[in-house]
Amino acid sequence: MGDAISTGSLLETATGRNTGAADWAEALRDRSRAEFAALGLPNRRLEAWRYSDLARALSETVRETGSLPTCHDMPGAYSAIFENGILDETQSSFREAGALPLRQILADPASPFVGHIGGVNPQDDHPLLSLNTALMEEGIVLRVPAGTTLEQPLHLRFDWQADTIGGRHLRVLILLEEGAKATLVETHGGSPSFATIVTEVRLAKNSELTHVRLERLGSSGRQSAMTLGEIGASARYRAFYLSEGGHFSRHEALLKLAGEEAQADIEGASLATGTRHCDNTTIITHAVPHTTSQQSFRGVLSGRARGAYQGCIRVAPDAQGTDARQMSRALLLSHRAEAATKPELEIFADDVKCAHGATIGELDADALFFLRARGIPEAEALSILIEAFFSESLAMIENDHLRGLATDAVQDWLSSHASEVSSVE
Amino acid sequence: MLEINDLHVSVHGKDILKGLSLTVPPGEVHAIMGPNGAGKSTTSYTLAGRDGYDVTQGSIRFKGEDMVPLPPEERAAKGIFLAFQYPLEIPGVSTLTFLKSAVNAQARLRGEKELDAVQFLKLIRETAKGLNISEEMLKRSLNVGFSGGEKKRNEVLQMALLKPSLAILDETDSGLDIDAMKLVAEGVNALRAPDRSFLVITHYQRLLDYIVPDHIHILAGGRIVKSGDKSLALQLEEQGYDAVIGKVA
Ligand SMILES: Nc1ncnc2c1ncn2[C@@H]1O[C@H](COP(=O)(O)OP(=O)(O)OP(=O)(O)O)[C@@H](O)[C@H]1O
Ligand SMILES: [Mg+2]
Repeated sequence: MGDAISTGSLLETATGRNTGAADWAEALRDRSRAEFAALGLPNRRLEAWRYSDLARALSETVRETGSLPTCHDMPGAYSAIFENGILDETQSSFREAGALPLRQILADPASPFVGHIGGVNPQDDHPLLSLNTALMEEGIVLRVPAGTTLEQPLHLRFDWQADTIGGRHLRVLILLEEGAKATLVETHGGSPSFATIVTEVRLAKNSELTHVRLERLGSSGRQSAMTLGEIGASARYRAFYLSEGGHFSRHEALLKLAGEEAQADIEGASLATGTRHCDNTTIITHAVPHTTSQQSFRGVLSGRARGAYQGCIRVAPDAQGTDARQMSRALLLSHRAEAATKPELEIFADDVKCAHGATIGELDADALFFLRARGIPEAEALSILIEAFFSESLAMIENDHLRGLATDAVQDWLSSHASEVSSVE
Repeated sequence: MLEINDLHVSVHGKDILKGLSLTVPPGEVHAIMGPNGAGKSTTSYTLAGRDGYDVTQGSIRFKGEDMVPLPPEERAAKGIFLAFQYPLEIPGVSTLTFLKSAVNAQARLRGEKELDAVQFLKLIRETAKGLNISEEMLKRSLNVGFSGGEKKRNEVLQMALLKPSLAILDETDSGLDIDAMKLVAEGVNALRAPDRSFLVITHYQRLLDYIVPDHIHILAGGRIVKSGDKSLALQLEEQGYDAVIGKVA
C-alpha cells in the first residue's frame, strides 16, 4: 500500500492549501512548516530516532502481507470514526460527549482552544510534531468541564483500509478541567501509507484521565504517533498502550508532571511478528517537587521483528521528592528477532527515588516443556506463557471493562498469530 | 507397557545413559534407585520427550509404539506422565487454568470430548480434597508460593486428573513429611489398576513400604546394573550402593 514519501513531497502538500482555517491556525501551521522544512524527516543518525529510521521506512515501497486488520471494537462508547484519516460524522457520536471536530476549531478566529493546540508540553526540534502541526486538518477536541465525569469512554477509531496518497496528519486535544474524569480509547487498524497522530492532553488539578491505545496496524502500515501531556497538581494520567507493530510503528509519550502530587502510570505491551517494527519512546519530565511516574513496557518479538524501547526520565533541579520507576522486559521468540532498550536518566535534584531495570530474554524452555509434558501442544503452551508474561501489566488496569478489553486484545493477537509464533527460527 | 532397550542418551553432547534396558509390564510398579547423578532424572525426561535429550542409540516403546520421534504433548496424550523432581513455578498462570488446559488438551489430542466448566470444577474439587489441596492454592499461580511438599502434592493431583497409563514419579517423596508421603502413596495406590503402570524413582526405601513395588532396579553409570524384588531396597539401606553394586560388578 505504501508509496515512497520524502520531506520534499510532504512540504509540497503543505504549501498552497486553502483550508478555511483562521489566521491563528494558519500562522501556527506556517511556523511549523518552516520548522519541519529545516529539520526534515528524521533518520537514524538522530539519537532519538536511532532504532526507527523514518526517512528510510518512508522511502521504501511496501506491500501488505496477509489480510488487513481492522480496529478493535469498543461498543457503548462515544465515538469519532476516522476512515482513512477523514472524520465520518454520520457514524460518530462524539458530539454527545461535548467533543468537536478539529476543523471547526481551526476555522474559528476566537476559539477558546487557541493556545492549547500546539501548546501542551511543547517540544523543541521535533520534526514530526512540526510536520503534524503544519498539516493537521482532521481531529477531535474535547473539554470536560470542572467536576464532571465523562460517562462513557470517548473512542477514537482510526481505520486505514484504502490507499491514501501521501500522508495524513491528525490532531486530538483533550482538556480535563479541575476534578474532571474521562477515559480516552484510541484504536488504530489497517495500513496508513503514512500517518502522524498527535494527542495532546492537559489535565488540570485533581483530574484523572485513563488513556488506552490499541494499535493493530497491517504489515505495511507506517505510523508515528505522539501523546503530549501536562499533568497538573494531584492529577493522574493512567495509560495502557498496546501495539502490534507495522512496517513502521512508533509511539512517543512525552509527559510533563507539572503540578505537585501529579502522577503518571503507563503499562505498555507490544507484540510483533514477521518483519515488523515497533518503537515505544517515553520522555517523562518531573518538573516540580513530589511527583510520581511509573512505567513498564513488555514486548514479545518473533520472526525477524524489531522492537525498541527508549525511556527517558528527567528530573528538574528543584523537583525534590520525585519518585520515578521504569521497567522494560523483552521476550525474544526467535533468534532473528531484535530488541533494543535504552533507559536515560537526567536527574538534577538530589532527593529523588529513581528505579529502572531492563531485561531481554528468551522464553523459559523449562516452563514450555512442563506444559507440553502435560499434553498442552506447543502453540497453546506458548500462548499460555506469553499471556502470563503480560498478565502483570494487564492486572494493573483498574477498570474491569478496560482490563477485559486489553486482555481480549492480547488474546486476539495470540490466537491469530499462534502459528507464526510457534515456528521458532 | 514400557520397553526400553539399550538406550543411549546424550545431553548437550555428554553421554549420560549408556545402554539402559528396562521392561515394565501393565499393572506393575517398578522402582528405580541409584546414586546421585546416576541418570534417573535423565531417564524420566527422556521418556517424557524433553528437547535436548538426544537418543543416540536404542529404543523406547510404549504400548508397542516407538516414542522417540514424538513430541512431549503427544506422549502425554498417549498416557505417559512425569511427576517432576523439581516442579516448576509459572507466575501468571493460575493452577486451575493450567489444570483445565491440560485435561482438555489431552482429551482433544485423543479425540475425546472436553469437559465443561461445571464438570471440570466438580472433578477437581473432589480430587484436590483427597490430596489436601485447598481451593485457595488452586487459584494461585502454578506452584508459586507453594511449599516443597505442596508442589509435590500438586504433581500427584495432576496425575490423578490426567489418569495416565504410565506414571513416572521422579523423587516425588523427597521433601515430604510422613503424613504427606502417606497421602501421596494413597493417591498412587488408588490409581493402581491392571492397565496402569508406575515407575517410581526414589532414594528411600520408606516410600516403598507404602507403594509396594513388584521390582526394584538399581541405576548406576547410565545403566540398570541390578534388579530384584523389594528386599533389594532393604539391602541397599543396610549396605549402601558401593557394597551392593560392587557385588554385581
Ligand atoms: N543439561 C545437562 N548438561 C550436562 N550434564 C547434565 C545435564 N543434565 C544432567 N547432566 C548430568 O547427567 C548426570 C545425570 O543426571 P540426573 O539428573 O539424571 O541424575 P539423577 O540420577 O536424577 O540424580 P539425583 O539423584 O541427584 O536426582 C549428572 O552427572 C548430571 O550432571
Ligand atoms: Mg534426579
